[in-house]
Amino acid sequence: MDRNGRARHAPPRVCIAVLLFGICTAFARSADFELPPLNSPPSTETHPGKMLWADLVTPDLTAAERFYGGLFGWTFQSVRGGRFDYALALLDGRPVAGLVQKPLGSGEHRQPAWLTFLAASDIDSVKRVAVSHGAKVLADTKLYPMRGRQCVLSDPEGAVFALLASSSGDSPDYLPENGEWIWSSLHAMDAGSEAAFYQNLFGYDVFDLPSDDGLEHLILSTDNYARASANDLARGSAHRHSHWLNFVRVENAAATTAKVLALGGRILVEPRMDRHGGMVAVVADPAGAPFGLMEWTASDTKEEPR
Amino acid sequence: MNIARRLSASGLGVMLLTLLYACALTGVEGSVGYDAGYYEPYGYDYGGWGLGYRVGPSRCCEGRDEHRDDRRDDRGDRGDRGRGGRAPAYRPAPAGRSAPSIPGRSRRH
Repeated sequence: MDRNGRARHAPPRVCIAVLLFGICTAFARSADFELPPLNSPPSTETHPGKMLWADLVTPDLTAAERFYGGLFGWTFQSVRGGRFDYALALLDGRPVAGLVQKPLGSGEHRQPAWLTFLAASDIDSVKRVAVSHGAKVLADTKLYPMRGRQCVLSDPEGAVFALLASSSGDSPDYLPENGEWIWSSLHAMDAGSEAAFYQNLFGYDVFDLPSDDGLEHLILSTDNYARASANDLARGSAHRHSHWLNFVRVENAAATTAKVLALGGRILVEPRMDRHGGMVAVVADPAGAPFGLMEWTASDTKEEPR
Repeated sequence: MNIARRLSASGLGVMLLTLLYACALTGVEGSVGYDAGYYEPYGYDYGGWGLGYRVGPSRCCEGRDEHRDDRRDDRGDRGDRGRGGRAPAYRPAPAGRSAPSIPGRSRRH
């Protein structure tokens, strides 16, 4: 203590000041993180089981932005994400995807991937049904006020997907533009069992399409629109695991795969004919995250009475 | 003595600060941070698609894919005539319906 009795009280004051500063900084930083709504203006529609969104997890956000910006013309808007950097990908000003940078330890045998978000307006009920049918909860339900409530699950075969109860309603059923997600396919050890699992969640109609390869290829639909396919894993894969794969609509699959290579990506499935002459390809970005490319012309779809 | 007290007070402050900061960023409050980023297992093959491996939706309209409904018997019940001689785990769409396509309406209209 000095003659004025100040020394004894100085350290606690400093500590309190530092503490208050720290608390304010921490909460201010965390409160900053907000994901924008899917739909502006909001939609009143609900489409259970529709793919609404996709998030990429990558160790290098800058490289990912360079790649996807160069490939699809996406632009990016930074969102402060607390522990991780998050970028919102936009196409003509509309949000199309999210990119999250997460460190990947040198000893970790994991690879970057796109996470598929499926619409579930009653997320608690859908999650409960999923768990009762063998799903595991990887990240429990969390609220992002403008985006909605979301959780991450793995299905009975281990394919990872997310549920999203959008605060702004489900995206209306439009034909996606080039550069937007157009399709999702599930690749599984037993497509039939997996289709049954997702049917329990979303009430999908399941159509078994004829195939030449002896494998099961199923179309999952709601509202009389195809939402996704469930496919037995290809026999040509030696090391296989169940996964979701999302496709971006492109004008020319061959030209886009050439661009993928020029931007440092890889081709996993060369451009090839799919149903009725439509071209598809599967590629990976420079960090290894796989995704699909799908050509679609306006005449490929015709609205039918619903 | 004073130095020791100062050090312990500072240490306590740093510990509390670290704890609060960690709580805030890991979402103790329920709506902070972002944790939807999941890396997939490493070392698996993607691709290897043989001939006839088709994953996309049906396209309009000629030759629209007919739904294989050979898993129902004449009474409309699911039989055991599916692939591998077993009934499918899912409930097949009604017979006679063809697989729908994706939406075709343009956002611009």
